[in-house]
Amino acid sequence: MTDSRVEESTNHRSGVRFAELLKVQARLALREPYGLLTGIALPAVLLAVFGFIGRAVPGNVGGTGLTIIDLWIPTILVLAFIFIAISLPNTLVRDREIGWLRRVSTTPLHPAMLLAAQLVIDLVLAAVAVLIVIGGGALVFGASLHVQVLPFGASLLLAIAEIFALGLMLVALATTQTVASVVGGVVTFVLLFLSGLWVQPAQVGGPLQTIMYYSPSGAAARALLDAVFNGSPSYAALLTMVVYTVLFGFIAIRYFRWE
Amino acid sequence: MLPRCRAEVGQWPPIVSTRERERERRWTHEVNDQSNHSSSDDTRSRGTGRAHGGAAQSARRAGTVNAAEVVTVQHLVKRYGRLRAVSDVSFSIGEGEIFGIIGPNGAGKTTCVECISGLRAPDAGSISVYGLSPQKDRNKIRELVGVQLQESALPPRLKVSEAVRLFASFYLNPLDPDELLESLGIKQFENSAFKSLSGGQKQRLSIALALVGNPKLAILDELTTGLDPEARRETWSLIERMRDRGVTVILVTHFMDEAERLCDRLALINRGTVRALDTPEAIAATAGGSRLRFVPSQPVDDQTLRTIPGVRDIERKQRYVTVTGTRDLASSVITALAAIGVRVSDVEARAGNLEDAFLKLTQDDASTAEGAAET
Repeated sequence: MTDSRVEESTNHRSGVRFAELLKVQARLALREPYGLLTGIALPAVLLAVFGFIGRAVPGNVGGTGLTIIDLWIPTILVLAFIFIAISLPNTLVRDREIGWLRRVSTTPLHPAMLLAAQLVIDLVLAAVAVLIVIGGGALVFGASLHVQVLPFGASLLLAIAEIFALGLMLVALATTQTVASVVGGVVTFVLLFLSGLWVQPAQVGGPLQTIMYYSPSGAAARALLDAVFNGSPSYAALLTMVVYTVLFGFIAIRYFRWE
Repeated sequence: MLPRCRAEVGQWPPIVSTRERERERRWTHEVNDQSNHSSSDDTRSRGTGRAHGGAAQSARRAGTVNAAEVVTVQHLVKRYGRLRAVSDVSFSIGEGEIFGIIGPNGAGKTTCVECISGLRAPDAGSISVYGLSPQKDRNKIRELVGVQLQESALPPRLKVSEAVRLFASFYLNPLDPDELLESLGIKQFENSAFKSLSGGQKQRLSIALALVGNPKLAILDELTTGLDPEARRETWSLIERMRDRGVTVILVTHFMDEAERLCDRLALINRGTVRALDTPEAIAATAGGSRLRFVPSQPVDDQTLRTIPGVRDIERKQRYVTVTGTRDLASSVITALAAIGVRVSDVEARAGNLEDAFLKLTQDDASTAEGAAET
């Protein structure tokens, strides 16, 4: 067999392998639905909560001219990404701790494929969350759908990339599943606060507003909000996200261990 | 045997039908081969599935390997930081052998097989597996070698059949997952999640995962640790069946009975070096020592006894004389004494076993061996 034919069959085979792997990983994700519950069910519930608050108390939060639902939709999106990304260590650190990644690395499949399959599944979850929050917000609670597609799309993708990179960094740094869940819990809480879940940066002002704007989750929420309601996107927020993505991604790759 | 094996090694990637046919032919050929030879060889009578050619067998018994060697390890060195886990290990494994690696905890056994399977890069020395380098030819090696790792679990909710099918999809030329589960006796658990399996079932699944890629070489690391006696015996017969299929097996163990029963040859590793490399019987006989107790018909002095080949120590208690030594002690002592007109009575002979040999070979440095790590 010539090298090119070997290569061809190898490529075909890696496709088949990856499909099989995706199927199995998806089944496992359904059997252990951390990401599914917190990444999709929780945002849907929050959307309903803020939607009804918005209907009862419409208009003009903190003099911004925006309604509660307008302001909180970006935050709820970011929250969905955070919960999905924080569920990454749950499976991946466990898989490493029990020796599953190592076990897989004795086969012709590179364990990076296992990681890739998990990421694909979580990206699908994130996409579903986006559809639910944006669709639900617009249809049920009348949130604005007049967005500039390009800045909004770019903000969404960057937000996902940045927060997933953060999740992968946790996977790389956490030594055990216990460490991962403790650190993950604290990080989640801090990120949720900074994204404006309890109080929006527009309401607090001062140095705390600046900290929120330049935090990983705050920058994501701000970029999304500005893409909808400002004439021009917030380049500062987009750049902040790029910096965080590169930083988290670098640390994740640098410190990643298979065993 | 040699040309056929060469042809197989050269055939890459292996083609399903040819390879299967080849295996079948080899199996039938060797069964005939076995029946044609006289079975004076004691190795053969130990197991039911001993399927080796006579030449290969005698070469192995001499502690060497014939030309169809599939794994060659030369002067392997592996350090973890300042610790030398493996300082100088060399051995060769012939096709179709069950090769045992025994040694105390922390001896470097696992490190050796991890280097062979390509999971770790050696610091010095060379390893060849079917003529390939585990480091450079990573993907090719992984098609040929099935590995069962010490303490490796599966995701708790993964089902048995899913795991085996998933692993089958990784290989070019896998076995049929259903047949494999059937033959390992875990077909009825195929819909059970990994976390609900018993220890023995988990080990069978682990063997299934090591075999589903249809490997030519299977590396099994501490396969029966933590199993109850019944499950251990069942696992042993699985290993024998594996060999009967033509798979070469590397078995890492610290159970002497397991090594004695299953292995064609053994490497006893202690503190990162090979202390003995031979058949289990030969290691037991040379290092373990034999013991012979008898009553001579007339007094024999120590001087005379010491001239008999193999005699090492002499003890006397009342009219009993006990000599310890190596190899075929009983017959050489009795023959030598008969030659000078001494008859013996009340003879009691005990062959040294592998455990004696193990203890003797490792006790020299047992006190300092604790610091060595095995992972």
